[in-house]
This record gives sequence, C-alpha cells and structure tokens, in this order.
Amino acid sequence: MQSEFLQKLTIFRKNRLAMVALFVAILLVVLALFASFISPYDPVSTDLENKLLPGFWAGNWDHPLGTDNLGRDLLSRILHGGAISLRVGYMVIAVTAFFGTLLGIVSAYYGGVVDILIMRVIDVFLSFPPLLLALAIAASLGAGLENAMFAISLVYIPQMARVVRGSVLKVKTNSFIEASRALAGGNMWIMGRHILPNIFPSALVYLTLLLADAILYTASLGFLGIGIKPSTPEWGAMLSSGKEYLLMGQWWVTVFPGIMIVLAVLSFNLVGDGLREAFDSKLKR
Amino acid sequence: MGLLRYLLKRLFLLIPTVIGVTILVFLLVHFIPGDPIEVMLGDKATEAARQALTERLGLDKPMYEQYWNWFVHALQGDFGMSVQSRLPVTEAILSRLPATIELALTATIVAAVFGIIVGVSAAYHHNSKFDHLLVTFSLVGVSIPIFWLGIMLMFLFSAILGWLPVSGRISMGAGVQEATGFYLIDTLLQGDISLFLDSLKHLLLPALSLATIPLSQIVRVTRSSMLDVLSEDYVRTARAKGLPYRKIIYKHALKNALIPVITVIGLQMGKLLAGAILTETVFSWPGTGRLLIQSISNRDYPMVQGIVFILAFAFILVNIIVDVIYAKLDPRIRFE
Repeated sequence: MQSEFLQKLTIFRKNRLAMVALFVAILLVVLALFASFISPYDPVSTDLENKLLPGFWAGNWDHPLGTDNLGRDLLSRILHGGAISLRVGYMVIAVTAFFGTLLGIVSAYYGGVVDILIMRVIDVFLSFPPLLLALAIAASLGAGLENAMFAISLVYIPQMARVVRGSVLKVKTNSFIEASRALAGGNMWIMGRHILPNIFPSALVYLTLLLADAILYTASLGFLGIGIKPSTPEWGAMLSSGKEYLLMGQWWVTVFPGIMIVLAVLSFNLVGDGLREAFDSKLKR
Repeated sequence: MGLLRYLLKRLFLLIPTVIGVTILVFLLVHFIPGDPIEVMLGDKATEAARQALTERLGLDKPMYEQYWNWFVHALQGDFGMSVQSRLPVTEAILSRLPATIELALTATIVAAVFGIIVGVSAAYHHNSKFDHLLVTFSLVGVSIPIFWLGIMLMFLFSAILGWLPVSGRISMGAGVQEATGFYLIDTLLQGDISLFLDSLKHLLLPALSLATIPLSQIVRVTRSSMLDVLSEDYVRTARAKGLPYRKIIYKHALKNALIPVITVIGLQMGKLLAGAILTETVFSWPGTGRLLIQSISNRDYPMVQGIVFILAFAFILVNIIVDVIYAKLDPRIRFE
C-alpha cells in the first residue's frame, strides 16, 4: 500500500504541467498565508484622494497594481483576497470531506434502508444546478463568509458522498473485508482500517478538484454580491465593483482580480488532473 | 423494458425527489435569520403592512400547514405574489423565461458544434503539439470565471472595438412583436432583417461567454471518446481494407463516439440554466437569472422561491430527457 502510493506519486512528479501548477498553487497559498505581512497597505482603509490610480505601468510604485474606486490599494486587497478564497476553500473542503465521507461510507457500508434514505436526500440536493443551490441558500442566510462557506459546502457534501459511496461499494467486495470480519473485526474497525485507506486516493483527487471549484463558486457569489459583503476584499466582489470603471478605461480593478481567480482555479485543476492521472490508471492521456 | 415504461418509471421515481425539492425551496424563507417579514419590508414598515404580509404569506400558521399550502399552490403553478411588484410570481417568471432559454440554447449549440469539431480534430492529431494545446486550452476554459470572461469580451468588443452592443437583448426603442418570446425567431417572423441582426449582435457575447465551460467539457469528452472508438476492432478492419482515415473518422467512428458526447451536452445544458445567472448579470440580459438576482437584493422571497423551483425543475427535466436519449441511442443500455 505504502510503496504503491509512493510509486504513484512518482508518476505525478513526472507530469511537468502538474508540477508547475503545484508550484504556482503553493506560491499562492504562501502569499495568502502571509498576506497581512506582505501587504503594503490596509486592504479596507479608503483614501478618496487617491482613487483609481494606475499602477506600475504608469510609474506608480507606491501602489504597484493601482488603487480601486475608493482609493484602496489593489495589491493589498488582492493578497487578502487570496487569503479569503483559500480560507473559504479549505473550510469547504474540510466540512465536505468529513460529512461527505461519513455519509458515503455509512450509506454504502450499511446499505438497505439507511442507504435508500441517505441517497434520496442526496438526490434532492443534486436536483439543483450547483450554483443555484449555493446562491439560494446564501441569499437566505444573508451576507457573511461563514454563510457562503456553508452554502458552498451544501453543494459538495452530496456530490462527495456519492463519490465515496461508489468507491466503498467497490472496495466492499474485496475478500480482505470478509477476512477481517471473519477475524471478528467490528464495523468501526473495518470502516476505519480497511475502507477509509482504500478510498483515500480517489477522495484526494476529488477534493483537489473541488478546491478549484470552491474558489470559483466563492468568486461567483462575491461577483453577484450574495453571501459576501461588498467591502470584503474577495476577488469576485472586487472585480464586480470595478466593472463600471472598466468601460471608462480603468481596467486594472477588474483585470487583476480576474487573473488571480484564473491562476488559482487553473493551478488546482491541473494538480487535481495530474493526481487523477497518477492514481486512476484507467485514464489515458 | 420498453422506452415508455422506462420513462414512466423514471417519472414515478421522480416524485419523492420533487417533493424533496419543494420542501427545500419552501424552507428557504425559514432559513432567513431573524424575522423574515422585517427582512422583506425593512424596519420602517407599519404594523398593518407587516400584518398583511404575514397573513398573505401564511407565516402565522403552523409550519406543516404553511408547507402544505405552498405545495398545493406550487403544484398548480402558483408561487404567490411578488412582495415588490404585487404581481403574480409565475407571470413574471414566464415572461422572462424565453430570454434565458434563447441564451442557453444558443450557447449549447455554439458549444456543441465547435466542441465536437475541435474534439474530433484533437483525437485525429492525437499526441501532437496541436492536441496538447487543445487539451490545455480546454482546461483553461473550465478554469476561467465566465463572468470575468464576459466582462473582458465586453471590454474588447464593445468598449475598445465598438463592434458589439454592451448590454441588453435588443437596441433601445426597437419594436419587437413578441410571438414566441425568442427574439431571433420573432424578428424573422416580423420579416425585419436589420432587427434580427440587431438581436443576434446582442446575443453573441453573452452566448459566447456562457458557452466556454460546456465547450471545454465537450472538447474533452469528444476527444477521449473518439480515442476509445478509434482503438476498436472495426476501425482497424476499416483501415485494413484501405478506407481513407478521414472517411473512417466521419463515417464510422464519429457516430459511435458521439453517444457520451450527447450526454455531456445535455448535462451541460442543464447547468447552463444556472450559469446564465452570471452571464445575464454581466450583460444585463433580461432573463430569469437576472430577475433572481434582483429579487434577492430586493428581498422578494416569493419570487426567489418561484425562480429557484422553476430552474431546479427544468434542470431535473433536462437530465431525464438526456437519460432517455442516451438509452435510446445506445442499444447496449437496457432500460433498467
């Protein structure tokens, strides 16, 4: 098991595109973690005398990426925006991983009525287009990052549960499960020691791709101004506030946050894709 | 099992899911923290107005009774009155629905046509530079936020180049006689070519930006499905008997490779209904998505509930249609 895992990591390491993406992703995470130390200014303090200043391309090194419509330093806001996206992303992943795995394992392992009940409820959640569900729930709960996280998690928990259920059903047929039961292994023991490690690779791939998606959904909610307060330095919200100035030529308020979203989403997507290729041997390139 | 029985079974199995959806949509109002009446009317509302709205929404009754009332009315297509405009919610939604469907359908067609062409050529030139480039592009395509792409397209084509209009469905003051609600069809029925071109110009950028994600997905699926089919025995036979490769691709392989592609097109079409929320907001497209966002910021919850339910219902229907088409296309799939 251990060596097989390392072997697959080697396959991943040979994927150049995925390695570059991993580097970018790590860089973004580091920038986000140290956002408050690196940022030259306070991301929310306004300075109306210096609004919509262009950045380095106009020789303005005080505000390298310029300022927004309220005179806030764009670089500082973008760095803090990274911290917010990652915080939402990781919270969504943590919540989804926990509840999705729990529901998926319980549903597949016990089967019968438990399975039917859980899957029926999951079907209801999957009947909504993902963005619509997150939007509707965030709209009811009102503005606030926690609400956005909760709304996005509710989109993914059912999906994750389904993925996990599928993998567990496959693992369950292996004879080592039967062997463990014959050796008087309890349900908890089997689920924790045998099933969980076996579904770990597919869950890992899924969660990486999910992180990319979660960042995209957070930005979408921010752009629509739902579940995230407009003053929050969130990439989607920043981009939305810059939209009206774009047509007047002040492009930086809209362009830079957009580039950051693309970089973040793309790098996590590429890492996820690389992992999938390494861990899912059926997939060909 | 025959197609009809399969369809009936699917529709029957749908009942618990749709009931679940109605419960969730109903509960949206109850998720509102604090007093929903105060949220909807603001704190300056008179006591009489608060009373009236409470009664109109039935919020003074017990929960199960509220749900039952809502459910019975929803089944009849009645989602109550808009808090804002005092008009029936259903009417407002129906008047906006054609704009959204026109946008989503156009985006689907664009994505399907280009996606299949590009996907097939990527498979045709498997492992070439061209192929790798397309695969990378399709990954970028799913990673770009469509609202940002829309804004950038608008900036380039409307603000800088001035080729296309910035927003809306048709130029101000243009008199479209609405027959179907689809402006591309209505303007043609009217026989007004310049008006048709005007609506087409308005549609172009929203449809293009909405099409990027499905386009990228269709490229990826077409490519991998094509590669699968090209390794089949009958393709080798066709090559062995000396058929030109191009002919094998279009006459033999494509037909079989398209089955998973059609599924993806259908699934993506369902998602486009929600994706349109973003595109409509960017381009001020007067569809249901924009209405939803406006209703959310006006705290018009009956309207929000109505739109969310209709869009979810449409999503479910599209998915069932896709399943049926899939089963019909591939005889190997039994109607189970």
